[in-house]
Formats: sequence, structure tokens, C-alpha cells
Amino acid sequence: MSSAESTEPTTTYEQAREELADVVRRLEAGGLTLEESLALWERGEELARLCQHWLDRARERLAAAGPEGQPE
Amino acid sequence: MTAPSSPEAPWPVRTVARKIADWIGRLGEVWVEGQVAQLSRRGGAATVFLTLRDPAADMSVPVTCHRDVADRPGLELTEGARVIVRARPDYYIARGSFSLRATEIRAVGLGELLARIERIRRLLAAEGLFDAARKRPLPFAPAVVGLITGRDSAAERDVLVTARRRWPAVRFAMHNCAVQGPTAAASVMEGLRRLDGDPEVEVIVIARGGGSVEDLLPFSDEGLVRAIAASRTPVVTAVGHETDTTLVDHVADVRAATPTDAAHRIVPEIGEQRRLVDGLRARARHLVAVRVEQQERWLESVRSRPVLASPDRMLHGREDDVLGLRTRARRTLVHRVEGAERDLDHARARVAALSPAATLERGYAVVQRADGSLVRDPAEVADDERLSVRVAGGRLPVRVERSGTGTGEDDQP
Repeated sequence: MSSAESTEPTTTYEQAREELADVVRRLEAGGLTLEESLALWERGEELARLCQHWLDRARERLAAAGPEGQPE
Repeated sequence: MTAPSSPEAPWPVRTVARKIADWIGRLGEVWVEGQVAQLSRRGGAATVFLTLRDPAADMSVPVTCHRDVADRPGLELTEGARVIVRARPDYYIARGSFSLRATEIRAVGLGELLARIERIRRLLAAEGLFDAARKRPLPFAPAVVGLITGRDSAAERDVLVTARRRWPAVRFAMHNCAVQGPTAAASVMEGLRRLDGDPEVEVIVIARGGGSVEDLLPFSDEGLVRAIAASRTPVVTAVGHETDTTLVDHVADVRAATPTDAAHRIVPEIGEQRRLVDGLRARARHLVAVRVEQQERWLESVRSRPVLASPDRMLHGREDDVLGLRTRARRTLVHRVEGAERDLDHARARVAALSPAATLERGYAVVQRADGSLVRDPAEVADDERLSVRVAGGRLPVRVERSGTGTGEDDQP
């Protein structure tokens, strides 16, 4: 994760999450051209990866703080 | 000397009154201690009336005095006050009433001292030095505590032992001072100045064990009270027993009941803090973990939505469309090719039907001149003319060689 840490995304989890929800909503609403759909889907994948990244990082940091209730 | 009274010779009131007044007048001056039960000042009247009660028995005596005696500066004469009265028993002859005529009233013993302290208290309170808004919060777990106490005093030991037991890391900056007598206030002020000037000191404790009101007097010194008010470092006082109140207690940011209590106020209990921190950590950790789990579930649910999970679905409809269109296009094209082929067959059949080839097959022949024109009449051709005979099998070049018999009858079909 050292490489990922050196290039932390500038988008916060909340921003990514909000945009992802919007992407899914627009995809589900339909009425888009194929190119638009593909671009949106790609963006959605990117955002989902970003969200996953933040959650993974959160998990790692929780784990790094040591076992529950124990000072490290 | 008046004759003894009898029913036949009674005394007039004035005689009785004068006799009583004489007798009472001979009693002389007396110091008497009691509690002011009632106090009555009538407007601008020169005489003040009060009732002096014995605190230990249900007995009281009326006291009168001149207004100047009751209002002497420094005397806080109020109902309930304990006073010592210098008085002469007095009989008011016009009314037949008895009272003690006071020439001097003193607040009982310390009452005077306390009254003086009370005056300073009011003065400083009016200045706002005791306002709750001035009280500063104490630092949590200060690294260095300034301690002003008597050398090797019980107060010093109580503060040190208790504070170190509760928070072993605490350090003390000591200032030993005189804790009673005329130099005490200045000594405490000097300690305050020194410790307040030490940037490491985060809180200052002034501690002294219990003592008499006189002993504790320096701790109500106006100069000391003002010095505490001016201190930049928060000050905790623990002076005397819980029931003793000195003015430093009023001005201090925190008033502790005892030196031990002061130690409780200045440092947290380490075990308790550990448990508290552990509890908070566990809660915080749990809350964050729950939060992360929620978000993970949310993300999972979003990622499993068909639009994200199977993006090829967005091609399905469109592939079908393309397939359908292709099929239609191909079908249309095939249809047209087939139509064209049928047309061609028809045309061929017609061509075949119109062709002379079939006639030739049957044995007929076509005769053509050199320029390709058809010969329909023997008269059209000259003798020796070269002609071309076409039969089913092919062309046959011939030359006209007319015999005499030729009439052309043979050519009739």
C-alpha cells in the first residue's frame, strides 16, 4: 500500500460514494447513448474502486491500531 | 425616708417609681453577652431598641442605646449577632419600663475580625473578583503543580501523597511559606509570584491545615486575594477545614475542602482514566468498525446492481437490435437477388422461345447474304452470289447455281 499512500486520491469517500450512487441512478434510468452508457459505467467502476480503496484503508488502519481494547 | 405604705396610706405611683429607679440605678454597670433577637431603629430617633436573648435559655432582656452606639463603624449589628454589651440597668420612670442602657456594643470576640473580613469580602465581591465568570478551568493532568504550603506540614504531605498516588507522573514546584502570623500573607504572595512566573507550572495549590480564625486570618488578606485574582495560573485553595471559609477560597478558581481534596481536584485518578480511555477506545473502535461495515455492505449492494455488475447487459438490447437489422437487411437482399434470378429465368425462357434456334433444330435453315440480310425470295439473289446457310449445326457457305427447273415452288412451306 506504500505506493497507494504516496498517491492518495483527492476524492473523499463521501464524494466518490455520492457520485457512484448518481452514476447508478443514471444508468438505471436509461435513455442514454451507448457511448454515454459505457463512459458512465467506466466512471462507476472507477468510483467503486475508489470507495473500496477507502474502505480497505479504513480496515487497515483499524487493524493497525491493534486488537480491540488493547494498547499496541 | 418615706413612711411604710398601708391600705390607709398608699404610696403614689411616683414614689414607687422613684424608689424602683433608685434601687435599679444602684446596680451599676455590667458587661453582658447575648444574641440580638430583635433590633428596632425608629426613623431618625436617637434611641435604638434591641432585645438581647440568652442563646442557651429562654430569657431575654431589653436593651436601649444611643444610635451612635449601635451604628459605630465596624460593628455589624444585625438580628442574630452575638454581642457583648456594656450597660447599666435602667428604669424608665415615665413608663415604668426596664432596660439595659448600653454605652458600648462589641461584636463577640472574633465577630469583630469576621466583620472586618466580611467588609473586605463585600468590597472585593462588588469589584467582581469572586464572579463565577472569572473562574478558570483547571488543566487536565498538569505536568507540574505549584504547591504553596508550610514546610513539612500535614497539608503538604496530604497533597503530595494523594496527588502522586492518583497520577504518578505529576511533578511539584514547591514553595514553603509561613502559614500564620504577620508575615504569612506576604510569604504566600511571594510564592504565588514565583510559581506564577514559572512557565512550567500549570496550576498552583495553596494548602494549609485547619486552625483558629486568627490563624487563618492571613488567608483573608486583601493583598493576597488580589494577587490570586491577578495570577495567570489557575489557583486551587485548600485552607482550613471544610467549615472555615477564608477570602482566598472565594477568589480561587477552585476551592478544595481539604488538602487531600485539592489533590483530587488537580490530578485525575490514573486507573479510572485508563478505564475511561479503554472504554472510549472500545466504543470508538466499535462505532468506526460498524460504520465501515455499513459502507462495505452499501458498496457491495451497489456493485451488485445489474447496471454495474453485468455491463454486457447494456449491449444485449443493442446487439439484438443490430442482429435484427442485419437479418432484415440480409433477408431483403436475398429476396431481391432471388427476384432478379426469377426475372432472368423468365427472360431467358422468352429469349429461348423467340430464338430461331429451335426452328433450325427442326431442320429449317436461314439463308443470309454477305451483308447479313435474310434471303426471303430467290429473286433477291444473283447467280453465283455467295450466301451463308445457317442450320442448327452451324453455318454453311454456298454459291447460287440456278438450274432451269428452279421455280421456287419448292420453297413454299
